[in-house]
Amino acid sequence: MRRYFRLHRIFIAQYLKKLMEYKVDFLLGAIGLLLTQAIQIMFLGIIFSQIPALIGYTFPQILFIYGFSLIAKSLDHLFTDNLWMVGYRIIRKGEFDKYLTRPINTLYHVIAENFCVDAFGEILTCALLLGYSIPKLNLPFHWYTIPLLIVVVIFATLIYTSLKIMTSAISFWTKASGHITHMLYMANDFAKYPVSIYNKAVQTIITYVIPFAFTAYFPASYFLTGENPLFCIGGTVIAGTVMFALALFVWHKGLNAYESAGS
Amino acid sequence: MSRIKRFFRTYRPFTRAGMQEMIAYRANFICFLIGEILSAFIMYFVWKAVFLSSDSETFMGFTMEDMVVYLFITFLTGYLTYSDGSFAVGEEIIDGSIAMRMIRPCSFEMCFLFQELGSRLISVSMIFVPMVAGVEIYRYAVSGSVRFQIGYFLLYILSLLFAYMISFYFNVCYGFMAFFFKNLWGTTLIKETVVGFLSGAIVPLAFLPSGLAQVLNLLPFASLSYTPVMIYMGMYSTSQILFSFGLQIFWLFTMYGVTKLIWRSAVKHLAIQGG
Amino acid sequence: MENMIYVENLRKEFKKIIKEPGLKGSVKALFKPKKEIITAVDDISFTVPKGEILGFLGPNGAGKSTVIKMLTGILMPTSGMCRINGQNPQKDRKNYVREIGVVFGQRTQLWWDLALRETYAVLKEIYQVPDEQYKKRMAFLNEVLELDSFITSPVRTLSLGQRMRADIAASLLHSPKVLFLDEPTIGLDVVVKENIRNAIRKINAEEGTTVILTTHDLADIEFLCERIVMIDKGKKVFDGGIAELKHNFGDVRTLEFELVNAPDFKLLDYHRRFKLTQDELASERDGAKATVRFDTAKVSVEDIISYTLSTVHVKDLNIKDVEIEEIIKRLYRREVSL
Repeated sequence: MRRYFRLHRIFIAQYLKKLMEYKVDFLLGAIGLLLTQAIQIMFLGIIFSQIPALIGYTFPQILFIYGFSLIAKSLDHLFTDNLWMVGYRIIRKGEFDKYLTRPINTLYHVIAENFCVDAFGEILTCALLLGYSIPKLNLPFHWYTIPLLIVVVIFATLIYTSLKIMTSAISFWTKASGHITHMLYMANDFAKYPVSIYNKAVQTIITYVIPFAFTAYFPASYFLTGENPLFCIGGTVIAGTVMFALALFVWHKGLNAYESAGS
Repeated sequence: MSRIKRFFRTYRPFTRAGMQEMIAYRANFICFLIGEILSAFIMYFVWKAVFLSSDSETFMGFTMEDMVVYLFITFLTGYLTYSDGSFAVGEEIIDGSIAMRMIRPCSFEMCFLFQELGSRLISVSMIFVPMVAGVEIYRYAVSGSVRFQIGYFLLYILSLLFAYMISFYFNVCYGFMAFFFKNLWGTTLIKETVVGFLSGAIVPLAFLPSGLAQVLNLLPFASLSYTPVMIYMGMYSTSQILFSFGLQIFWLFTMYGVTKLIWRSAVKHLAIQGG
Repeated sequence: MENMIYVENLRKEFKKIIKEPGLKGSVKALFKPKKEIITAVDDISFTVPKGEILGFLGPNGAGKSTVIKMLTGILMPTSGMCRINGQNPQKDRKNYVREIGVVFGQRTQLWWDLALRETYAVLKEIYQVPDEQYKKRMAFLNEVLELDSFITSPVRTLSLGQRMRADIAASLLHSPKVLFLDEPTIGLDVVVKENIRNAIRKINAEEGTTVILTTHDLADIEFLCERIVMIDKGKKVFDGGIAELKHNFGDVRTLEFELVNAPDFKLLDYHRRFKLTQDELASERDGAKATVRFDTAKVSVEDIISYTLSTVHVKDLNIKDVEIEEIIKRLYRREVSL
């Protein structure tokens, strides 16, 4: 375990060196992400200029949920972005061979190898949204709020990462699966809004099948109201754990099916 | 006549290659499509909630029915006018193969265009009819009367064609950014977000402050999405339609001219720097 | 001697979707994909004693890389087994790969954007090489592979020859017991090739590293290997020493005549005289030197010499030894069977 932390530190240090070389390019990515979020929020602003509340949620509440959804999303983005490459390039081009000849966990190796500073575009948006909305909301606060928040963030990120691991691992069988990861990414926007705006079918899917609702809305609603901790927090922990176990399973099945490239 | 024939004979293989590519990567195409439709549905649910929460039947002049039509026709328009030109050009610049374009006996952007037309042809054939039918069935179910108007529909298709061509040339121009920035992902994201906003694909331009909306209406981006959608919905008067067609043609020629200019200076640059 | 590598009845099958060419083919593949099972490696067995350099040969697509990938734990065999250094590569992969080094000539294992030195620093952590040993090891590799001049450059800026040396050094950083080299001299110029061969030989001699080497350059084989295993279409077709190969297939000889009068060369018509095809005998002229390469099963050395001497004036005569390259070329072209 300590070895893995040390390795991670080295990878980060190396990455930062690389970052200095391509400053402008990373800035472009971050600006892109920031703009995407900014325009979405402007859209919400236009809506709330006409109505006082969206099915019972005030503007600050909606912004809080939206901002909360970006915590897990941006952390996942920052740390595990290389998984995209598994589905797009690494397996198709046979580059995965390299990981299999190294004496460390392949999944860890792939993930640790790269970071995506572009994610700071989302992190910044997230900070602005929470910074703006929290003072306007009268959130319940106890001594355990912060520890609970940390636990929730870890497991919510794990939900994202696990889903990404699973969709990337599909490429062990199909050679490429970046498009499936992409589809999933489009779907995670469901997490940004209160689940009550969706119909029953969508609610069920994003709660029990692809548990995006646990990456944002459920935990966020607990921190908003202090109600239903067992479902909102416990659910996130369970969903994260189950998804991660499933992801590891799929990944290991995939390793056995890996066919490399060429002859 | 024979010149036109020769023209099509030259570029037909590109169209075929585009179609084959589309079929080979069908899974990508379908997943991409589903992802896009999903985000359209998220917007649908958001708007439904908005209308539920509002006392008024309309939101800034749009009824729920208008909003749904707007959402899905915008989605369809965006999908059909989507051009991959900037990525294709960008990648060729980054890996240096753009220099090969100089020695081919065909126009540089026409090769891209005809290849893309091949893949567009397949996606049009797969989603155009179901999408329009779906929207019209929805309209019929909500209002109880047939709202489909063939005249507007045909004008929409014409406007859509202009929109695609503008989008194509705009994207080719944008692709030349790769001479300066290597992060295609970042530059593409910025482009798509900004164009999405300016073209009215995220928020109808009518919802924006009127001064801003008027300016945006004149920019080329409105011609990409907002104009055809407004025509489809029958929201434009005859004079507005004529004006917007004029504007589309103006922007098409402008983009075409800019592409030619950039290409010429790129050729010069490549000839001197060797790529 | 103790066997380092032990391979028994190794087999690997791939499923492949067959697509007919053209648009019609694409559409067809969309609705009714045709699948076929391809046996890339078909029942291969061999052993390699500790400290040996084994040449692993075969034409393109014969299944060499697939075998290497199974031996290195990358691919799962369909059936059969391999034991290397007393371990099963697929069982405890992480432990197993600690003791082996792998170089794929076609593809670098280094980090593209990192300076070479940093790449080694990362690998040091991955393989948990202690500081003291790392220092010694780098000094040794530096000496053998001459990395000094480019060790601070980013990997992407290295020339192919430098990159290959860097890759080989990377595979040796953790002092592996077995080294797998998949085409380590591909695309390199003669001087670099020679450097790399010398380095491999030195490491093998000094550390007793067992090496499996695939290559298309037979000079690599002649310089490095005492023994070769040859496969074709997934099957093993030869396993033995180089001397044995020459002995078994040494029916191709090369004679060199130095002519007194170079234009006389056109008087020599071996094909008509002995009724031979171009495949059975090849002759060419380089300046005053005429080279005749022929199959001794069809015509004897004696006949060729006496015909040549009786037709033209010869200044000098040279009977060359059997060249391994010639044998292998013929094997690949399936002119002789095994």
